[in-house]
Amino acid sequence: MNGPTRSRRVDHDALQARFALRVASRLSEQSEKLPHDLSERLRVAREQAVARARQLRLTQPATATATATAFQVSQGSVALGQPPSGWLRLASVLPLMLLVLGLVMIQHLHDQAEIHAAAEVDAALLADDLPPEAYGDPGFVIFLKQPEQ
Amino acid sequence: MANDKELSDFLKSAEKRAFKRTAYAVRDEDAALDIVQDSMIRLAEKYADRPVAELPLIFGRILSNATMDWFRRQKVRQAAVQNFSELGSDAEDGDFDLLESLEAVDGSWASQGPPDRLSREQTLAIIDAEVSALPARQREAFLLRYWEELDTAETALVMGCSEGSVKTHCSRAVHALAKALAAKGLKP
Repeated sequence: MNGPTRSRRVDHDALQARFALRVASRLSEQSEKLPHDLSERLRVAREQAVARARQLRLTQPATATATATAFQVSQGSVALGQPPSGWLRLASVLPLMLLVLGLVMIQHLHDQAEIHAAAEVDAALLADDLPPEAYGDPGFVIFLKQPEQ
Repeated sequence: MANDKELSDFLKSAEKRAFKRTAYAVRDEDAALDIVQDSMIRLAEKYADRPVAELPLIFGRILSNATMDWFRRQKVRQAAVQNFSELGSDAEDGDFDLLESLEAVDGSWASQGPPDRLSREQTLAIIDAEVSALPARQREAFLLRYWEELDTAETALVMGCSEGSVKTHCSRAVHALAKALAAKGLKP
């Protein structure tokens, strides 16, 4: 049932395409007959475009090379002749190591300061004329709280 | 990746069609030349590293965008949209036998040659005028599909519409051209 309809449709499409391509070939024929000045202006435009592409092609590799060279130079100054990858890793870990070291130092100094302060108090107590046991006597504490006469 | 020669060859093969296609749209030769030149430069600057096979599609898209930009700049986009909207009024002629017309016109060209027929130059001029008179979207679809020889999907990509729309535009364009050319005497 669909056979003849489909066949007619295919014929129609084929004929349409054939017609269209025939029109297109006439258009091509017509476009080849562009006035000389238009053809020349198109040629100049084309040559400018190709020159632009060539120029970009030449400048891009040069830029890439310059960038790569600068990178290698900077790597070399860090590496001092060594392979750069190990130094790069070290350079990235170094700030973290310095931070941890700094924290440890701060903690150590803090502990030292506390110990020093406690030692000073102990030394003052021991060096005083008043025996340390006196501070444990309730009567002495009350005596200290009384205003001076 | 297209080298200079391949890029040059591609542009050489496409430049006249591109110019005509743009001139049909903007109806101004100087503007069409500027648009084609800008499109060529843009292709060279941005897409010259693409494979040669991709250049026709990319160039077609650049040219379409550049043409639309020109309309925007000229502030006549409204006119273009109005022109596009003519698509909606393209009523099918119920009593016009496309198939018969196509066969007639096709046959007339195949057997062209007798001196009493329209001269070839006149025929080309009539075809040029009738293509130019097509509604913008129909003409664009027709030229991309059959002159630039893009397939339906590629034409849809360049035009920014669906493949179904491309088929509809092409069919209507062929229909209109066949009818117009038959009316001009391009039939047996």
